[in-house]
Amino acid sequence: MDKKSWQIPVTIVLIFVGILLTLQFQTQTRVLTDLSAQKTEHLITMVRNLSDKRTSLVEELDDIETTLRELRVSGAAGVNIIENLNSDLRRLSIVNGTREVFGPGLTVTFSEYDPILYTDLILIINELWAAGAEAMAINDTRIALNSIIFYGEENNSMYITADHIPLSFPIVIKAIGNSNTLDKGLTLPGGIIDNLALYQAFPEIEQEEELALPAIEKNLVFYVAKDVDRN
Amino acid sequence: MWLPILGLLFGAIIGSAISFEIPLLYAKYMSVAVLASLDSVFGGVKAILEDKFDGTILLTGFFTNALLAALLAYLGDRLGVDLHMAAVFAFGVRLFQNLADIRHHILGKTLKDYNGHKRIS
Repeated sequence: MDKKSWQIPVTIVLIFVGILLTLQFQTQTRVLTDLSAQKTEHLITMVRNLSDKRTSLVEELDDIETTLRELRVSGAAGVNIIENLNSDLRRLSIVNGTREVFGPGLTVTFSEYDPILYTDLILIINELWAAGAEAMAINDTRIALNSIIFYGEENNSMYITADHIPLSFPIVIKAIGNSNTLDKGLTLPGGIIDNLALYQAFPEIEQEEELALPAIEKNLVFYVAKDVDRN
Repeated sequence: MWLPILGLLFGAIIGSAISFEIPLLYAKYMSVAVLASLDSVFGGVKAILEDKFDGTILLTGFFTNALLAALLAYLGDRLGVDLHMAAVFAFGVRLFQNLADIRHHILGKTLKDYNGHKRIS
């Protein structure tokens, strides 16, 4: 048989076979990767793997959320610490007198006709502290930790000083605290007011709804005093 | 001899190059068609070896077998009969038969001193 007579048809057929085979290979590859063509066992394995992966991802998400929560809480704790420190600072400022303070209280007013000594003022202030005064001022000089009440002399006349500032009459002692308690502390029988009455001094005592006490002008500075931790 | 092999390679290149995707639904029919066409090819090779080759028969057989196999498989699916299994079985058997015949012929030619064209089983 003539060689050429069979080669051409076979070649044509083989071209088509080649096309068909490659197409079928490609299609079969897609079929094998398609989920609907997978075996049940493989699908079960895949589902199991995927659900395992999902579980681990959920756990990871949980961990991350926990971390986030902890970070938020610690952030909030930081804010809380700052707030606490600020409120402590405010409270200590009131105690130190480095901050203006408002509140109900009592005023004790001495007129120029009241014969008083600086010790009388000290006694009254001591009595007021004892009666629960929280902050005090004399003629707008705040009584602080290191306040000095003393006297000065000039041209044969004596004057009372508070923190070295001469006090002019009327001398007003303002005390913030429970006004009733403060009043009772001063006016109890045999108390300081009774004693002053012996010297013909009759201070006016008034309970006030709202008092404003100024801040001291200079802060306390400690040069040698150390706290317990630093010694 | 080399021309058909070149043709096969050429067809493979064309098949790789074209971006035609057979829908997965028809992949099964396509596989039956491929099986039928392979059977035709091996039948053709056997015919060449037996000196009974006819190009027309090969070409018509190739296309009609492939198309009919695919159509029968499709029809079987429509009718609820797994006719593609029948096609796979029939063409598979024929394919192996043809391959066996081809093997015998080649062996027969290479062992010419073995009683001429006597079959070796």
